[in-house]
Amino acid sequence: MAAHQLKSLYEDLQRSFNGGPSDLKRCGTLLAQLKMGLIETGLLPPRGEHNLDDLVVARDILEIGAFWSIRTQDVPSFDRYFSQLQNFYTDYSSILPPSKREYPIRGLNLIRLLTQNRIADFHTTLESLPLPADAIADNPYLAHPVNLERWLMEGSYSKVWNAREEAPAEEYKFFVDSLMGTIRNEIASCEEAAYESLPLKDAATLLFFPKQSELLNFAQQRGWQVNPTAGTVTFVKKGEEKIEIPKEKLIAANLAYARELEQIV
Amino acid sequence: MADVEMKAADKAKDEAKKDEKKPEEAPKPPPSPVDEIKSNIALIERAVSTLEPRFTYRVLRTLTALRKRIDATVLRTAIEQVYPKDAAEKETLLSWLPEGSAAEQSMEVDSSAATAKPSAPASSAPPPEGEIYLRLLILHYLLTNPATYSKALALANETAEKMQALNRRSMDPIAAKVWFAVERAYELAGELADARPLFLAAQRTASLRHDDESQASLINRLLRNYLHYNLYDQADKLVSKTTFPESASNPQFARYHYFLGRIKAVQLNYSEAHHNLQQAIRRAPQPRTAPGFYQAVHKIFIVVELLMGEIPERSLFRHPVLEKALIAYFDIVKAVRTGSLSQFQSTLSKHAAQFEADKTYTLIVRLRQNVIKTGIRRLSLSYSRISLRDICLKLHLDSEEDAEYIVGKAIRDGVIEGRVVHEKGWMECGGQKDGYGPEVSDVFARRIGFCLQLHNESIKAMRYPLNAHRKELAAAEGAREREKELAKDIQAGDLDDSDMGGDF
Repeated sequence: MAAHQLKSLYEDLQRSFNGGPSDLKRCGTLLAQLKMGLIETGLLPPRGEHNLDDLVVARDILEIGAFWSIRTQDVPSFDRYFSQLQNFYTDYSSILPPSKREYPIRGLNLIRLLTQNRIADFHTTLESLPLPADAIADNPYLAHPVNLERWLMEGSYSKVWNAREEAPAEEYKFFVDSLMGTIRNEIASCEEAAYESLPLKDAATLLFFPKQSELLNFAQQRGWQVNPTAGTVTFVKKGEEKIEIPKEKLIAANLAYARELEQIV
Repeated sequence: MADVEMKAADKAKDEAKKDEKKPEEAPKPPPSPVDEIKSNIALIERAVSTLEPRFTYRVLRTLTALRKRIDATVLRTAIEQVYPKDAAEKETLLSWLPEGSAAEQSMEVDSSAATAKPSAPASSAPPPEGEIYLRLLILHYLLTNPATYSKALALANETAEKMQALNRRSMDPIAAKVWFAVERAYELAGELADARPLFLAAQRTASLRHDDESQASLINRLLRNYLHYNLYDQADKLVSKTTFPESASNPQFARYHYFLGRIKAVQLNYSEAHHNLQQAIRRAPQPRTAPGFYQAVHKIFIVVELLMGEIPERSLFRHPVLEKALIAYFDIVKAVRTGSLSQFQSTLSKHAAQFEADKTYTLIVRLRQNVIKTGIRRLSLSYSRISLRDICLKLHLDSEEDAEYIVGKAIRDGVIEGRVVHEKGWMECGGQKDGYGPEVSDVFARRIGFCLQLHNESIKAMRYPLNAHRKELAAAEGAREREKELAKDIQAGDLDDSDMGGDF
């Protein structure tokens, strides 16, 4: 693909992405074509020597791609764009001018890990950010997921719920819904352990359900017993686990000791 | 280990033919560095000819002490004396040393020549192992001065290439040390990231050649390299794709466990991290010989212990080596122990710079939830029933609503036993679990297993000099002879006695 053709496609992409309501469908087809072009010119992944402008354009295209995947709600595609972008963010960080989209995208990636409950990956990613730890708190794009994670771990679920509206970028909201699903399940499992029964109304507030019908659906999914007359939810207790003495294991261990002692004596 | 030596055997056969220098007598109390280098070279030669790597280990043990005493003139004299007059290696080695002023040089030579006179200049060049050893010493010397860092880097690269080309098993222990120096050269030259491909390639070669020493050293180099740039992902992948050689030496194991501990801690796998760090502490050299490592491991060890919900022992902070280095961590431990969020926050901001430098900041930030958990735990122990509002006040939480969720989570996570009574707005605490059950036997099994393994390993590690049992056999033979004679005598004596008795 000729260079000028690539350029016109890129301008087209910028226009359709930035103009008013983005034309998502058109962006998709353009992105596919552009990626082919990038691969042919050796910019994806970047190989050999390239001039700065080309690299910046390639990074731009990938960043738009990442945002586009979120807007079309395609998380695996976001994952792919992000791994391609990491090349630019880490290996070329000393040459390229910093991108203003870098931190929103990194933040989005963090939230994605959080919603998929990949806490270990979340922390590894956080650790490898090229920022000193106190700068993370000052960066709104990163502070948001970091705070969410802390509240989730503490159990301050209401703070998470309230932070829903404070997303620093439009794209963050996409993850909020699935995050709420995660939270509800967390709360539900806590309630099962911590309460014997709850009034329906309170259960709905605790689980952030605006309507009772939604609560009833949810209760059915988790197998809770709803008592409509008394207006309470009763949680099924898991029967006290019987502690059994692991006989076979103990015997095997003792035999092993006997053998070892025999060797020593 | 056995098959490494086997391979080395056919290669070093021709080496054995070389005239073997008698090892010098035990060096007199303070041997001059030149003499020490020379005797070390002799030891290395002996190690090569007898295929006994332990002579090389003995040489390498002196490295740390020797390193501090060498300078250009010492090295120059040593090289002059070790090599015969017109050896090619001698010229190359000397070319790496900076030119000393002529006067100083001759003076130094004179003073050291007095001690060196008796041993005539060597007639044959030492084996390549000796040359690499000298290169290692030069490398360490060059690294002491910032002006020669670039030179050290060049030498490091050349030496690494040379080692790879020589490919001798008897060189492995020295090679492992050289890799350390190579890394240091790259680090001081500020190009640590560039060393990665070199190390990766060398690691592959080492593992193909069953070169355990170098492999262990190189894996540690790589891990350190990754962690230096916070590349935990890559480090984790490296760990999962390689196996750390079983026969590696203790210091290497200590380092490896330390790096593993750090990776696992970041991945929230605290019990694994705790295990690894404990191993690192146990295998590390004495605190006084390697205080830096001891402190570094303990810093992260304390944080991990806190994250697991345990409180480190008080005596740890009174340890003479650790006391000063751990002040900041001691404050954090106090805050976590009392379960006070405000104290925790103020300590955190006060020592932020130090935690940042130790790379423990993000780990310590995670402690926030542990502070809350400890707080709730303390409350649950002292109250049988407490209102959510009081919990909220005592733990400095933002709202009662939060308190309810937090308590719920604590109950689910098994931090406390109890339940929340929502209608009345209080928490009821249940009884504590007793300490008996099947898990006790598990803990015992682990400890017994450890002791047995220790015993077996120490038996395996025992060394017996070759053919020494013959002497003992001979001695036993002699003893038996004597016994027989004694028996005979006694018999004779008995007879005598009876004779005597007869006489009576």
